[in-house]
Amino acid sequence: MRYTSESVEQLVEEFAQLPGIGKKTAQRLALFILKLPREKVVTFAQALINIKDKVRYCSICSNITESDPCYICSSPKRTRGIICVVEEPRDVMAIEKTNEFHGLYHVLGGALSPLDNIGPEDLKVKELLARITDDIEEIILAMNPNVEGEATTIYLSRLLKPLSVKVTRIARGLPIGGDLEFADEATLSRALEGRIAL
Amino acid sequence: MKIVRAQLRQFRNHDCTELDFGMTTNALLGDNGHGKTNILEALSFLCLTKSFYASSDAIVLQQGKDFFELRGTLLSDVGVEHDVRIVYESQTNHKKVFIDGKEPATFSSVIGQFPIVVLSPENSNITFGTPSDRRRFMDLVVAQSSRVYVEDVLEYRKALRQRNKILSDISRNGGSSALLEPWNETLVLHGSKVLLKRVRFFEEFAPYIMRAYAAIAHELETPQVEYVPNVETAPHDSPDVVGERFKAKLEEKKRDELRIGSTLVGPHRDEVAFSLNGLQLRAYASQGQHKTFLVALKVAEFFYLKERCAETPVVLLDDVFTELDGTRSQKLIALIESLGQTFITTTSEHVFHETIHWDDGRRRFTIHNGAAVQHDHEAAA
Ligand SMILES: Nc1ncnc2c1ncn2[C@@H]1O[C@H](COP(=O)(O)OP(=O)(O)O)[C@@H](O)[C@H]1O
Ligand SMILES: [Mg+2]
Ligand SMILES: [Zn+2]
Repeated sequence: MRYTSESVEQLVEEFAQLPGIGKKTAQRLALFILKLPREKVVTFAQALINIKDKVRYCSICSNITESDPCYICSSPKRTRGIICVVEEPRDVMAIEKTNEFHGLYHVLGGALSPLDNIGPEDLKVKELLARITDDIEEIILAMNPNVEGEATTIYLSRLLKPLSVKVTRIARGLPIGGDLEFADEATLSRALEGRIAL
Repeated sequence: MKIVRAQLRQFRNHDCTELDFGMTTNALLGDNGHGKTNILEALSFLCLTKSFYASSDAIVLQQGKDFFELRGTLLSDVGVEHDVRIVYESQTNHKKVFIDGKEPATFSSVIGQFPIVVLSPENSNITFGTPSDRRRFMDLVVAQSSRVYVEDVLEYRKALRQRNKILSDISRNGGSSALLEPWNETLVLHGSKVLLKRVRFFEEFAPYIMRAYAAIAHELETPQVEYVPNVETAPHDSPDVVGERFKAKLEEKKRDELRIGSTLVGPHRDEVAFSLNGLQLRAYASQGQHKTFLVALKVAEFFYLKERCAETPVVLLDDVFTELDGTRSQKLIALIESLGQTFITTTSEHVFHETIHWDDGRRRFTIHNGAAVQHDHEAAA
């Protein structure tokens, strides 16, 4: 279907590029925006621009942040001797929601996946190694419970072994094939508590 | 389990077909190419969330349409009704499954809840075809009887694809084989589970085949089935022991794998051996013996699933009587009818014994041009 307005047409195209959004949903969203008051649309558009202009990666943990270092890395309340390694920023959010973990994070930016041409050099592995000093007591590997997460866990645990730091991984208890992001808080808390030494 | 009713919308050549089934035998009659097999395929979707032979959801979508919808009322052995709805949209290439209005966590978690046994012309490759045809047969039986097996197989395949990618990169462009290390362990972890499950399955399944074969064959023949793993595995081995052997074998084949660019060790290359009186079926058996063996496998599958799932499987028979003579067909129908609910497609009603009584439990449908018409019941004799 073609619209009589090029602007509507363009917005539909933009929405349709978003993951999980088909043409029909894109049309619905565009027409919804059209009906919003102008100031709401301005706030929305500004939010889109801000995410690009203000958000960057923490120079310590590689999590997304607006101030560098991020508020977790710079908080005096966090236990600095424990680093929890995760795949994506959304995993930090999931673990933070449990209120069970008070250490620091390290965001790898993905997991090993040869099919997607992601090898160790495409992840923030060197940056992780650089953070391991005498003050670090434990590294917790909290990858997603799928084969890519598993292979990444195996890879990192071998790499960390010679560094004489305690390495653990979170307990399996998570649904197989699932993502940390989708685990409920109770399951995730249990997985953190029941971590296994590697 | 019984399928009480089914509705097909824009599925294959069925635009809008509704069927109320009988609780024992359901005959789907009609000329070739009118949509009989398509109905069995729809029943397979309702029970397994997928077709028993089509490779994709897009293929079964009616040409020129943008969605298909299937709906079924399934009645469990203990009398609980389940409403199953499957919707596929071409635009998103996305299928949704609803059981009693709720989406299950994964499609694989549905497999085994509504067990089915299918016998169709393609199945002849179980005894005639390649090892991969036999593994597919085995996988569907084990999958229906063990939920974790589906997960293990899917994870194993994923690890295998990832590992093969590294091997093929190295075989083409060179590179460090150290990259393989983490994938070796993942492969071994899931592969050992798959191996043990399969070996244990065959230990349990063998007596079922003996019994089924004895029940349907006239001759004194002894069937054997055996899983032949390329990593030595016995039913009572621990996963760790199997894992160690798996690793050793990978190490042994490492150079070949790097040269060829794919994984040569593991359950994806195992054979399932069928034999009669000690002679390999594929090489020595007659056509008739092949057929009998196949039917025995399916009857064994039925009883195995019935016991393991604590739910009577529904039996789908697609055109299986074309190659069987009249008395054999009627014996088979009588046997299967005593088991539970059956769906039988055929072009010729003569495969049913003339004394069969079409009543409320045994129903006939004529399938013509993607539409179904139910025959009237016969008056009670
Ligand atoms: N995706 C599809 N869309 C429309 N028609 C289809 C589709 N797939 C198959 N058909 C039609 O279905 C018919 C075959 O149905 P089938 O159930 O195999 O027949 P039979 O009664 O011989 O078992 C053919 O006429 C074929 O053209
Ligand atoms: Mg057919
Ligand atoms: Zn940080």
